Amino acid sequence: MSAGSSAEALHPIEQTILKALSSSDNDVLIDSLSTSTGLSIDQIRRGIEWLKFKDFVSIKESLTEKIYLASEGVAAVAKGLPERRLLNAAKEGKNTIEEILASGSIRNEEVNAAIAGARRNQWIQLIEGKIVPAQNQNYEKQSPEEAFLADLKDGTEITKLGQEQKKTLEQLKRRPNYVEIKQEKESRVLLTDAGKKLISILEEKEKQEVDQQQQQRRFTTIRRQQLTSELITSGKWRETKFSPIDVEAQAPTIFPGRRHPLVDIIEEVKEIFVGLGFTEIDGPLLQSGFWNFDALFTPQDHSAREMQDTFYVSGQKQPVPATKDQIQKVSDIHKKGWSKNWDLEEARRIVLRTHTTPVTLRHLASIKPAVGRFFSIGRVFRNEKVSYKHLVEFHQVEGVATSQGISLRDLMGLQKEFYAKMGIKKVKFWPTFFPYTEPSLQSMIYNEKMEKWIELFGMGIFRPEVTEPLGMKNPVLAWGGGLERIAMLRFGLDDVRELYSNKLAWLRGVPRCQL
Amino acid sequence: MPVVNIAKDRLRKFFPGIKVDKVLEILPFVGLDIEGMEDNIIRVEYNPNRPDFSSDYGIARALRGLLEIETGMPKFKLAGKSKCIIKVDRQLKKIRPYVVALVAKNGRLDNETIKQLIVMQEDLHNGIGRRRKKTSIGIHNLDAVHFPLTYKTVDGSYSFVPLGETSSRSINEIIKESEIGRQYGPILQGLNRYPVIIDDTGTIISLPPIINGQTTKVDSQCHNLFVEVTATDSKAAEDTLAIIASTLYDAGFKIMTVTIRRQEDKDDRKITEETPTMDPKKITVSLDYINGILGLKLDIKQAITCIRKSRLDAKIIKNNNNKKTTTITCTVPRYRIDITHPIDIAEEVAIGYGIYNIEPTFPASNTAGEKNLLSNYFNAIRETMTGIAMIEVLNFSLTSKEIEYDSFQLTQRKEMLLSVDGSKSSEHEILRESLIPSLLEALSRNVHEEYPQKLFEIGKTFHQESTRESIIEPWNIGAVVAHGEAGYTEIKSIMQALLKTCFGKDVVTKATKNRYYIDGRCSEIVVDNKIIGTIGEITPLALENFKLRVPVTAFEINLSLLTGIH
Repeated sequence: MSAGSSAEALHPIEQTILKALSSSDNDVLIDSLSTSTGLSIDQIRRGIEWLKFKDFVSIKESLTEKIYLASEGVAAVAKGLPERRLLNAAKEGKNTIEEILASGSIRNEEVNAAIAGARRNQWIQLIEGKIVPAQNQNYEKQSPEEAFLADLKDGTEITKLGQEQKKTLEQLKRRPNYVEIKQEKESRVLLTDAGKKLISILEEKEKQEVDQQQQQRRFTTIRRQQLTSELITSGKWRETKFSPIDVEAQAPTIFPGRRHPLVDIIEEVKEIFVGLGFTEIDGPLLQSGFWNFDALFTPQDHSAREMQDTFYVSGQKQPVPATKDQIQKVSDIHKKGWSKNWDLEEARRIVLRTHTTPVTLRHLASIKPAVGRFFSIGRVFRNEKVSYKHLVEFHQVEGVATSQGISLRDLMGLQKEFYAKMGIKKVKFWPTFFPYTEPSLQSMIYNEKMEKWIELFGMGIFRPEVTEPLGMKNPVLAWGGGLERIAMLRFGLDDVRELYSNKLAWLRGVPRCQL
Repeated sequence: MPVVNIAKDRLRKFFPGIKVDKVLEILPFVGLDIEGMEDNIIRVEYNPNRPDFSSDYGIARALRGLLEIETGMPKFKLAGKSKCIIKVDRQLKKIRPYVVALVAKNGRLDNETIKQLIVMQEDLHNGIGRRRKKTSIGIHNLDAVHFPLTYKTVDGSYSFVPLGETSSRSINEIIKESEIGRQYGPILQGLNRYPVIIDDTGTIISLPPIINGQTTKVDSQCHNLFVEVTATDSKAAEDTLAIIASTLYDAGFKIMTVTIRRQEDKDDRKITEETPTMDPKKITVSLDYINGILGLKLDIKQAITCIRKSRLDAKIIKNNNNKKTTTITCTVPRYRIDITHPIDIAEEVAIGYGIYNIEPTFPASNTAGEKNLLSNYFNAIRETMTGIAMIEVLNFSLTSKEIEYDSFQLTQRKEMLLSVDGSKSSEHEILRESLIPSLLEALSRNVHEEYPQKLFEIGKTFHQESTRESIIEPWNIGAVVAHGEAGYTEIKSIMQALLKTCFGKDVVTKATKNRYYIDGRCSEIVVDNKIIGTIGEITPLALENFKLRVPVTAFEINLSLLTGIH
């Protein structure tokens, strides 16, 4: 991309960053850009990534050595260096080491450093074993070390020190725990040649725009720029010359209204079902234990029915919305297949449906079709810990087909066709287990982008224990699974929570058509 | 789903001359899933309907069939009566009435076999056993058991040395103080006498469903085992024991029966039975049925081959009337507790045939499909709303007290909450009765994004006037508009446009008070003399609680009420 054409395509953040960089001759600390531009650090980082990608800036990572006061250094700033404390004690007439130590001015381990320092600075003389302040009164002045410590700001870079200061630092480094040198990583950003060229183009353009505006202001007084209704109807437009406008300038961003991306996929799936001859059905999210579990031949002591996996509405039991005959037949089949203690109370509990199958079953039970194809897409619930791969509430797709002689092969065929219409070409099937279908299969699809097989919909033929009590004569094929999985693959998400986080940046930004 | 660890070395032993990879390749075709692999160990996930897969012996048994090393019913023979006796006291009747047991002799237990048995025991406890509530298993060193045994109740002060300990503790102590006691003790809650299996010397060998005694501990030196299963359900007890019997048989033990002697309540009649009973089940099924279900045209020979590959026996039944239909009688080994119906045989045929060999066929549609009316209405609504630059969001129906109520300081309404039991997350505890709080929450997540922000959502809400009434769950639409100059007139225009464009309805707004809106800037939405929703400017209190810095206006309409569709 040439610098000229890129100037048009720059994001406002990029422009701001470039401007800030152009006003500085050297490379600039990334962190400091935030203060100079008023942009957030995230925006800065993002902008720089973009610019780097386009080769307008380069990033220099370097290690900088910075000086920090360590514990002794801090103490010295507050109380003075040991040599200063020694001198002060001597001035007060304490002339032997013993006396000075006794006064508490310096500690035992500081004695050597104190004497060495004081002598180096020519602050004291040793006369007949006694410590006496030097007569030259050199001590009135700060020693270089004292000056260094007093002036030191935490985080000062070593490279910024003068020659003398560096020497003093070397001395201080020899004293334990006075200063600490830390290596810090810094990222600096630097304009590339292309970047510099771009800036000059931008500046040129800006100048032109200002000139143009000034010109236009002059121009409008003589010739109109804006076509008005009055000009059109009066016919005066014939005498009017229209000034050119900057058709290359940026226009403000507008955000169209749009459906949620997941809803787009739901609609797509609905269209596929309709195309395959399926009719949509719908039903309540709150279901009785009867339709969610019992009618599906799920034993009453099955772990899926426990509170750990399923949401029950607190303190709610309602009459089972089924006929006496249906309840009797389901109860009989449970007593025969599972436990003699089938309990109507358990069937009366109100559950947030764990799948859409109760809706399908109630529909089948109410119309008992000999031939039919139905689908539903709706929310289902599981009492799970929310994580990148689990939600407590998600969408399930389900399709059922019944007719005389319909078979497992047909189910596989329907499934394959459904996937093909979603753009999924490679499909394979495994045997698996669901309590209410037999035979049961698991389908795997091949994801080209990720180059791996992914488990998707489960399927099977409803068990006779499910269909017979409801009066269904022909086999009922059923398949279904979570929709969010498909959405994640489509939008390249690896955290399912993203679909419900309602982040406007994503909702406004994710393309409706994935090319 | 339960998991079994299989060592590659063991696979080599089970399948001499066959490459481990080849064996692994066919695992999925019996419904097994390789969950992971570490060096020598393969973690295999199996479906809970196949508790016979709870050890590598069971898995090997099935794979041998599919690989055609050995087909038909696996070998199994009971080696007669062990003459060991368990007397069952009638006190157990209301507590944990059933006990079944077996004796396994002359086997060898290496460490890997012990590991497999422990995993099998745990999986059976958790699956068929419903975390030991329904069945629990005790495995003992036969040589340390003094028969006859009695299954009876004792009070909590009775003590014994529990497995893994050195000193004697009372039952009460074990239940209250040990970890295993706290975990499974609740199954015995409310009892003042506890079920135990006691041997002839008065020593407790088992306190079901909690723990065995130390005296009968099993180690790699054991050659003879005694296994008991106690249960609240006789079928579960027998199923469990049958699976254990098959596994121990495959592990090289001789399986012998144990005599269970119980006293009936009414008379003093004693009932005696020998366990385990390993009689296979017979299921008769026609070839047409199988072919019909699978959509295949197998001949009788092929069908029988497939069934035998699934380790069942099959026999053609000669048809008396000499009609075309051929019938097969299948003999199902005792451990296949999942096979109960002809449909299950159809699945076994499919597995024996190989799912990958079945070519999918697309059945032409004999029906015309359509979306339902509500879908069409919602589409019209979405089109209208997006046409006026509204962005659709999705929120959860299960939300938190904090978002739904605390943000508006609505403490007094909390009793009316519809909440769920035992949610694992406090963010998903109550069923929302309005879309407005979650829409405000959505705005609060986007305070750094460019304004104006205009959001809408179509979702269900939940209401119940008193606990006896049924809960209704109408579809609502909610909308919020947030920007520096957001005000009542703008949101009213949007709401009017929606009702007019989608439903041709003119709307009247009547001043009202509502918890979400500023007094004097809130009204009811009335269509055809029905109140279908509310509209207004959100209170600054709520804005502050949601950390919003710009004015927000909102409306919410009950679409079920408006359209008459629920």
